[in-house]
Formats: sequence, structure tokens, C-alpha cells
Amino acid sequence: MSAPGSFSKPSWIGSGTMILDIFLTVSKGIGLTLYITAASLFFGGIVGLFLAAGAQSRFALLRLAVAAYVNVVRVIPPITWLFLIYFGLPQFALKLSTLEAAIVGFSVIASAFMAEIYRSGLLSIPVGQREAAHALGMGQLTTARWVITPQAFRVALPAIATYAIGLLKDSALASTIGVHEITYFAQQSAKQLHQGLLSFALAGALYIILSLVIAVISRRIHVRLRQKTGVA
Amino acid sequence: MALNLGTRTSPIPISGGVHVSHLGKSYGSNKVLSDVNLKMQEGEVVSIIGPSGAGKSTFLRCLNYLEVPTEGTITIGGARVCADDSRPDKASLDHLRKVTGMVFQSFNLFPHLTVMENITLPQRKVLRASKDRAEEVAQSLLKRVGLPEKAKEYPARLSGGQQQRIAIARALALSPSVMLFDEPTSALDPEIGLEVLAVMRDLADEGMTMLVVTHEMHFARDVSDRIMVMGNGGVLETGPSEQVMSDPSHERTRQFLKAVLDR
Repeated sequence: MSAPGSFSKPSWIGSGTMILDIFLTVSKGIGLTLYITAASLFFGGIVGLFLAAGAQSRFALLRLAVAAYVNVVRVIPPITWLFLIYFGLPQFALKLSTLEAAIVGFSVIASAFMAEIYRSGLLSIPVGQREAAHALGMGQLTTARWVITPQAFRVALPAIATYAIGLLKDSALASTIGVHEITYFAQQSAKQLHQGLLSFALAGALYIILSLVIAVISRRIHVRLRQKTGVA
Repeated sequence: MALNLGTRTSPIPISGGVHVSHLGKSYGSNKVLSDVNLKMQEGEVVSIIGPSGAGKSTFLRCLNYLEVPTEGTITIGGARVCADDSRPDKASLDHLRKVTGMVFQSFNLFPHLTVMENITLPQRKVLRASKDRAEEVAQSLLKRVGLPEKAKEYPARLSGGQQQRIAIARALALSPSVMLFDEPTSALDPEIGLEVLAVMRDLADEGMTMLVVTHEMHFARDVSDRIMVMGNGGVLETGPSEQVMSDPSHERTRQFLKAVLDR
């Protein structure tokens, strides 16, 4: 998708300062892109923890409610969630800023996905771990906190990193409700400078770089944990 | 040599022995355990032998409620639980688990914790011991099982025999009245198993009350005071080790012993 008129420009090559200009403009969005991603991963990660716990509950009704929540959240497209929250909630006198709406929306979505990731992590822990903890007199909560969760987290880490990268990309959708993140600025410079190709190509490059950073960090943690403990 | 548990006044807690009566477990109409009775003196070592599927492990796991028995009474170290009740209250269950230490076939050390943390975590969470106290106890137990230099290692770096000795130390750290061993050497090759058996033998010599599900016939004969033979979810016979091994009274025991000893 190129901005109107960009095809009529002879070439964008040769204008080093223009590339720099666009790059600096688009870069202004890095902050909010990372902020939305990190905040949503954080809140979604916490809510997801409770959802995963609920999915293990002995009360069938609670398990059912969690399953329903997770499935409903996951089948609605992210952009629909954002519109629902940003344009829909004000009808209930709940007016959120664009940034708040984006973080709430992505947190809701992240909570469902994180719950599933935790669940697979939990399933990978051998039953003997729980039995050993119980045989040692440790209660349900102590066992969950000190024995199961740390191990499940290690197992889940690669999946969490993959999801974080997915979330980073999805955060571009926040531009549609006007959050000043990378894609928003790319759109601005595409319109103002008639440089659609260059603006969005630079935005794409930024997403690649940020994704690589997340991937490298998670890989490092993963390798360190594995060297140390031989698990995960 | 007495079991050195750091500053604790009573190295081996007063247990009052073990008393299990009419213990049974069934899934619906399927009875997997029926009318198991066992009385152990304090300091006694009893081995449980028998063919697989006899209910040996199920019986042992009922004693600390990893499996929930459906009938009978368990009395261990002042903890008393009746299986006739729907489900025991949390307090008596906690008590029961506090007075029993269990060692598993697959060790079940916590892989994300160091050896030291494996031994101190339950002390701190269950006994509410201070960090210093817990580490002191752990260090002396590590010395006791012959692995004082492994405190900072993670379980994955240890051999199976070493892991099992750490698991024994971890269970001992809570000063249980009775130690339950569920085939502690079955996952180890025979030579490595010996180092675990040696630790268990020392423990027996020091007066620990022990109940051991095992296929190690030498250990059963030489170390335990009595042998309980199980078959088909029940007790076939219980008697002094020497007598059960050399002159069993039950025909099924005779068959079983012949099968394992002729190997």
C-alpha cells in the first residue's frame, strides 16, 4: 500500500537526508510500540496466571467459564477488540484514552493466549514433582508457588517469547485508533512526504530489529537456564 | 554413629511406631487393596516384597495419602487418620505428611533448585525454619549421605545414585517418625544402587523406623527385621526376615521367592 502520489516521484534513492528524516520520524514510535507490547504482556501475563489456575480448578463451572473466556477472546480479531473497547465502551461512560484502550485490548487478548501457554507449561511438569512436594508436607499453594510455577515458566519461556513477538507486530493495529506508535508515524511521514514505500519499509525494518532483540534475549535466558539446571 | 541433625535435641524423633489396621482401597467395585494390617515398633525396619501389581506401592502411598484409602485406620507418630471418614481434615493430613518421609523410585528432586535449596525449601515452608538453621541441617545431612561437596550443584548434574541420596537427605530434614521407601533402587543400575542401599543400611542401624518396598532380596533379608509379602492387593504373610526367606508359609511366597532368587 503506498501513499497517494508516491509513484509519481522519480526516485527516493540519492536523498540520504530524507531517509534519515523519515527514519527519525518513524523511530519516535518505538517508545509506545514497546510500551504497549510490554504492558499488555505484563497485565495479560498476570491475568493469564489466574485463568490457568482457574482452568485447573476442581469446580467444573469455573473451568467452563475460563474455557469460554479463552475461546471467545481468541476468535475475535484484535482490531475488533480495539474498536470495541475504544468506540464501544464510551457508551457505558467509560472513555479511555487511545493508549489506554490499546493496552486494555491487547491485555485482554494476551491473557487468553498466555493462559494457554501456561497450561501447556503446567502439563509438562511430571506428576512426581507435585507428589514429592505433598509428601514433604507442602500445601497446594506452597507447591504451586515454589515447585510448579518456576518449572512451568521455564518450559513456557520460548512460547512466551514467540507470543511477545506476535504481540509486538499486532501492536501496529493501535495506529488505527490513533496511538502514536511506529506504524502511526510511518503513515504520517508517508502522507506528508509522499514516501510510502520508504516510510513503511523503514517501519518494517524497525519491527525486524525489535523482534530480533526479543528473540535474542529469550534465547539467552533459555540457554542459561538449561545449562544450569538441565530442564526446559 | 547417631544421625546428626544439627542443633536438634532429638536426632531421631520419638515415633511411637506405625499402626495400620484394615486398610483398604477400591475404585468403585474394583478392590486394589484389602485388609492390610501392619504394626511396627519404633526403630523397626520392614521390607515389603511381592510380585508387581500386588499393591505394594499403593499401600505405601496410602500411608501419606498420596493415594486415598477407602477404609481402615493409619496411626503414625501421633497422627491418626481414619479412612472411613469422607476425607480427613487438613490438620491431620498435614500432620500425617509431616511425620512420614517418602523416597520415590524416580527421586523427584526439584530440578530448578540446587541441592541445598532442595533440602532447605521444605524445612523453611513446612517447619518454618530460619535460613541459617535449615542450611545447617542440610549441610550435616549432606555429610551424612556422603555428598557434602554437592550443595551448590543442580540435580541434573548428579548421577542417579547421588540424586537418590539427596532425596533421602531432603526427607530426613523434616525429622520424620518413619521413612517410606518406594522401590528406591529400581531406577538405578545395580552397582549404583549399592551406594543408596548403604545409606539406607546406616539409617536402619541408627534406629530409623523404615518401611521399604523393594526387589532387593539381600537388603530385605539382611537389613530388615521383618518382611511383609503382598500379593493380589492383600498381605500373604508377615514374619521375621530370615524365616520368610528360608521357610515361607505361603505357597505364593514360595513361588515368588523361587522366581526372584533363581534369576
